[in-house]
Amino acid sequence: MALVSLLAVSACDAWLDVKPYDKMSQDELLSTEDGFMKLLNGIYIELNSDMLYGGALSVEMVEIMGGAYTIGTDNTVWGNYADLAEYEYGTDYWRARFSETWNKAYSLILNCNLLLENLQEPQVRFTGENYKIIKGEALALRAMLHFDMLRLFGPVYSRNPDMPAIPYYKRYSVVPNDILPASEVASEILHDLQEARILLANDPVRTSGTMTSAPSDGSSSFMYYRNLRLNYYAVTALLARCGLYFGDKDAAYDYAVEVIEAAGSGIFPFVDKSLVTGSPDDPDRIFSSEIIFALTHSQRNKLFKNYYDPSRIPNYVFRMDNDLMSDLIFGGGALTGGNQDDYRYRVNWVATGANRYFYKYSDMADPGSIVNTMIPMIRLGEMYLIVAESRSEDIGAGVVYVNRLRANRGVSALQTLTARTLQYEYIRELYGEGQLFFMYKRMFTPILFTSADSRNPRPSDAVFVVPLPTSETDN
Amino acid sequence: MKNFCLAIAAVFLSILPLAAQDNVAVLKGKVIDSADGYPLIGVSVMVEGTKFGTVTDVDGLYELRIPDQKCEVTFSYVGYDDEIRIYNLKNASSFAKIVMYMNTTQLADVVVTGVYERKKESFTGASATFKTDQLKAVGSNNVLQSLKTLDPSFKMMENSQFGSNPNMMPDVEIRGKTSVVGLKEEYGTDPNQPLFILDGFETTIETIMNLNMNRVASVTILKDAASTAIYGSKASNGVVVIETKAPARGRLQLSYKGDYGLSLADLSDYNLMNAREKLEFETLAGVYKDNTGDPFAQIRLDNLRNERLKEIERGVDTYWLSEPIRPGITHKHNIYAEGGEDKIRYGIGVSYGNVDGVMKDSDRQTLEGNVDLIYRTGKFQFSNKLSLNWLDVTNPTVSFAEYAYANPYYRKRNADGGVDRYLYYPEEGVDDYPVANPLWNAHLNNWDRASGFGFTNNFIFEWFVTQDLRLRAKFGLTKQDDDEQMRLSPLHTQFDDAGETEKGLYSHTQIKELIYEGDASVTFGKLFAKKHLVNAVGGFNFSSNRRQIYGYSATGFTDDHFDAPSFANGYPSGGSPDYSESLKRAASFYINGGYSYSERYLLDFNYRLDGASMFGTGNRFRNTWSVGTGWNIHKEAFMKDSDFFSLLKLRGSVGNPGNQNFSAYQAFSTYKFNGWMTNVFGTGVILNALGNTELAWQETTNYDVGADMIFWGERINLTFDYYWKHTDPLLAVITTPGSMGVTSVAMNAGSQKTRGWEATFRISPVYRPSEGIMWNISLNATSSRSVYADIGNSFSALNESGKASLAGTTRYYDGGSPTAIWAVRSAGIDPATGKELFIKKDGTYSFTYDVNDEVVVGDMQPKVEGLMGTTLYYKGFSVGCYLRYRWGGQTFNSSLFQKVENIGTQEVYNNQDKRALYDRWSETNREAYFKGISLVQRTEKSSRFVMDDNSLVGESFNIGYEFPDRIARRMRLGAMNLQLTMTDVFRATSVRVERGIDYPFARTVTMSLGITF
Repeated sequence: MALVSLLAVSACDAWLDVKPYDKMSQDELLSTEDGFMKLLNGIYIELNSDMLYGGALSVEMVEIMGGAYTIGTDNTVWGNYADLAEYEYGTDYWRARFSETWNKAYSLILNCNLLLENLQEPQVRFTGENYKIIKGEALALRAMLHFDMLRLFGPVYSRNPDMPAIPYYKRYSVVPNDILPASEVASEILHDLQEARILLANDPVRTSGTMTSAPSDGSSSFMYYRNLRLNYYAVTALLARCGLYFGDKDAAYDYAVEVIEAAGSGIFPFVDKSLVTGSPDDPDRIFSSEIIFALTHSQRNKLFKNYYDPSRIPNYVFRMDNDLMSDLIFGGGALTGGNQDDYRYRVNWVATGANRYFYKYSDMADPGSIVNTMIPMIRLGEMYLIVAESRSEDIGAGVVYVNRLRANRGVSALQTLTARTLQYEYIRELYGEGQLFFMYKRMFTPILFTSADSRNPRPSDAVFVVPLPTSETDN
Repeated sequence: MKNFCLAIAAVFLSILPLAAQDNVAVLKGKVIDSADGYPLIGVSVMVEGTKFGTVTDVDGLYELRIPDQKCEVTFSYVGYDDEIRIYNLKNASSFAKIVMYMNTTQLADVVVTGVYERKKESFTGASATFKTDQLKAVGSNNVLQSLKTLDPSFKMMENSQFGSNPNMMPDVEIRGKTSVVGLKEEYGTDPNQPLFILDGFETTIETIMNLNMNRVASVTILKDAASTAIYGSKASNGVVVIETKAPARGRLQLSYKGDYGLSLADLSDYNLMNAREKLEFETLAGVYKDNTGDPFAQIRLDNLRNERLKEIERGVDTYWLSEPIRPGITHKHNIYAEGGEDKIRYGIGVSYGNVDGVMKDSDRQTLEGNVDLIYRTGKFQFSNKLSLNWLDVTNPTVSFAEYAYANPYYRKRNADGGVDRYLYYPEEGVDDYPVANPLWNAHLNNWDRASGFGFTNNFIFEWFVTQDLRLRAKFGLTKQDDDEQMRLSPLHTQFDDAGETEKGLYSHTQIKELIYEGDASVTFGKLFAKKHLVNAVGGFNFSSNRRQIYGYSATGFTDDHFDAPSFANGYPSGGSPDYSESLKRAASFYINGGYSYSERYLLDFNYRLDGASMFGTGNRFRNTWSVGTGWNIHKEAFMKDSDFFSLLKLRGSVGNPGNQNFSAYQAFSTYKFNGWMTNVFGTGVILNALGNTELAWQETTNYDVGADMIFWGERINLTFDYYWKHTDPLLAVITTPGSMGVTSVAMNAGSQKTRGWEATFRISPVYRPSEGIMWNISLNATSSRSVYADIGNSFSALNESGKASLAGTTRYYDGGSPTAIWAVRSAGIDPATGKELFIKKDGTYSFTYDVNDEVVVGDMQPKVEGLMGTTLYYKGFSVGCYLRYRWGGQTFNSSLFQKVENIGTQEVYNNQDKRALYDRWSETNREAYFKGISLVQRTEKSSRFVMDDNSLVGESFNIGYEFPDRIARRMRLGAMNLQLTMTDVFRATSVRVERGIDYPFARTVTMSLGITF
């Protein structure tokens, strides 16, 4: 009887295997190569969320913390931004905002983990390099998201590498993972990135470049637009960024040099002067050819319209402090390296009335251009700055690399390089890309809201360490 | 058991070699039914101790050749008592006419589980069975309403939000809750709802609510593991088994049953201010005092107040609550025609019911048709029940609460008798909110309707293989389509601020459901050596339930009158069509065995293997088992001499039924398109819901010990049960750290332990059944207490949000009760300052409220509750009365908390409880129970609002009369009876809380008439 039952039971098993029709079940989705590609693309798309790089982690929240914008005191105009500029992380509004960003980042990490876990014993055969590319990119995405959470919520790494920071999720789990010390998180990040780099060794970007147009025969564009994916060089560049942040300058130097060399071979060429100064009415404001990795956001113009567009007045508009701009960043002469001939000034800072406004995210004239969708995540300029900073313990030794970058920005060479002038260069190069706060946090220096040091926030844990969301500490 | 062992009819034994016998006698005759004289076909006629036997033919005739010697001849037939005749060589003529009597005690003494039937005496489970008369005697609303009055363990949760709304499905539970935190909110299914079985097939609570009570033959409640485990992983909440009537044999018989009821809203729990009181309250609260320092503002406020005062002097004191209510008329009719002869029996019925709720625009109409057919030939029986149902409901579009909010100093209608849009509209430039007139929205062309149509066909095939062995196969199919439509007029005040093309709303939801269930089983029952009674049932069951929901909304209506969706301008901005589907499948094997030794020692066991589609692939099958034992002491030799006890049984059981009332796709991870963006790579997908493949299904280990006694010449009937339930693990939706990637997840967390007892006691001080005179007094009581265990910090987020909320008093801690009320203890209002004095955890006093001083200050679960009843039968008359009592529980009085104190600057414009004006602290009334009147002071949850909640409710009163035969016959009727039932007649409580917030409660009186032609 029992035996008969058991036989019948296994027969019913198939009948009981019900697949939801109104939702995609995991088994159904990940039964094809295309399903894995869609899931991976879904993660890239979600990175454009306002809570992540479509706002908070690029142009808005983290950039305010990085002192990029002058924030007014009028509450009816500036709302909660005044609190953030004062680093009051404990208000209800900002607690909720940080928690949102945290939850979103980790929900995408969960998506990466589900994808990776299903890649372990895939039920499908992948064509060509696809398996390695998908796996490599997913690992890199996971590492990148953890890295940014670590940079935001973790301790000042150069000072307290062993302080508890954030949990690192390597697999899907319904049991919460422990909060790890920053140094352990760092080694997990590096481990994932290195593995990704190995998997991406045959990335077509190395032979065919970024391929920024769809295949002409109408076939799948999965292996095209490599600069819109975490390609081999993007992962290498991330490793350079991580190396510097974690204090491993040798590694940072080596990785950055590798990217620079590849760029030199024509994969990420410096922006063509004709596209910048040659077309003052329609410049390539983001220097798109230099971008190693960008997101593609179908309504990127919202970034400009919601934050930078001077026509927003009387509502708030994000822009640089006037004194900071004229005294240090795009002025000040040889001492600061600031110069109004700088392409970055000429292209991206447009005067309206007495002020100049930031136009990096303003669209180019061609409405269909892929450039109009790009949110830069990591760019060549940063590699030069990393090399400059990690060349030796003496920052001065890096001046040659900064000058090589400056030569492509239409400005004269610096005589000497100091930590301070390097920061100015970072501001010129990466403004509005969500990296400045992390630079100050890494270097543990005052945050340059203005040109007057007395008015700039001093470095401290209270400024640099955002408290973990309450959902993390209470549950 | 009788029906298996003794009554299995067709045994083919007629072809026997009689030639070998020398002297042969022939017995000939006809077997007829005692009731109608109809011949019985297929009656088995056997000579005891031999193989001689035969069966009756289509005319009830038999011819039996037997050896010519003294012997015992047994006539047996399903559903009839055995007839035993002794043949003494001379009395062959007495075999010419055999009259058999229907086994009338069958229903009462048999426990029907829906899978098998057992004699109550030899059953070890805890169960209760009620017949149609009992159900009808206590109420005619629906089966569940009556069950709650009859059995203390069956509880229907009072819905203080929706009161007596006839279209609200109640929450019901048997022996309390086994779970669960946050699941109903998440999935919309009640995880504590028992399983409903109708004629052997699983069904929904809606079907049971719609079922016309006159069709019901019996209802059995299965409570403990031994009785429910046959339903395996669906059974931990108990099972309600309902059998409808089967057509009776005989010439065509027509019967009519009707119920005519009247319901009146019960507003006695409302204690609202009159116009003068409200104005005084507003004045004291400072509504008419200007704070801006603008002298013109103060003049305006003074004028406003004077205006209202003038209105009051003119006699305006509007009673808004009377506006939306009406006397609710109910009428239900059931006509049933039945008849047939032995081979074929048929029944055709039509039921119609119309329940008008006590609120206007609130009704429920049901129409049901059913055809029952039974065909029996030889060893085979086919029965089929087909029912069709049609449903049409309407709900009010303005909730009762809006009338309760309206201030009594406003007039309902303007001078022309028309209805104004606003009761008060601030003048130009005044910063004040307008007050909407509830009658305005009510008089518009708004509606909320639903209709449904469905059919159910249940087919059962039985093969009586031998006297002891029966095979049964059944298949049931249900199709149900429901359609819900809602419309709000563009003139509705909700759209005051909406754009011209976004006014008005229409929404349409369509629900399609297809359910089928099949079952095959083998039943065996035999008495060995006159001592060992063995019963066994084994079978296989499969079921499938697909539910699809389609829906959309439209907006942009321009006219109140033209309401067809085609007049809509478009879809709401950002709106998208809804579609959801759930498909649940299950397949199970089950086996049940029972053994009794000389009717004294009883042993039952059940085992069921359940597979269900909603269980993840890793956990697809689940085992359920139970063991029950019993001891019939009254059958023991030492009790034989005394006939004091007609029943004295001890029983005990243990088992682990499970719970399946969960979402269909809980174990699956599902994905969705990120519809907000696509890119050059095409579309993307992302996780939609995270399935928990490690989830263990909730299971309740259930222990029960009980005793059943009937003694003193059947005058006293006593049943007692003590039970202990341990639900481990609990399934709960828990908020998680955001780093897990989801903010909440269904998880196993801790366990819940419940102990309880229930007792029913019935005594008949006057007991003369043969004369039709009887007086019964019954008392039943139940009590239970639950605690959480091993939950640790899993629910800390719920605890925190409860602490932070205005009125949440439920907390989750180990050792804590799910029904405990948590609040800070209060020492009352300090007479000197008017501030509330709190008692801290360490016993010290403080004016400062600290949420961490919370302790348990009460428990909503009463210490004991139940019913007291008495019924008196005198010849044809009967009178019954049932009172529900509840003692020893507490409640957090939300009316005091939110309509006396905590009236803020918004709420002050609503009408409030009278007590908000009186007994408030002031310089002149220092000994007050409530704080001073203030619009800004927040009152915190404290024990000051926790009150004893003891109550006595007149749940059901009834008077009935069964017309004697001679009168009925004179009226050319077969039988006739009349009954008057009143429900919720009165209510005495120790605490006054507003109930029926969105829909008032009602008192109902119903007259029922039954006629058989």
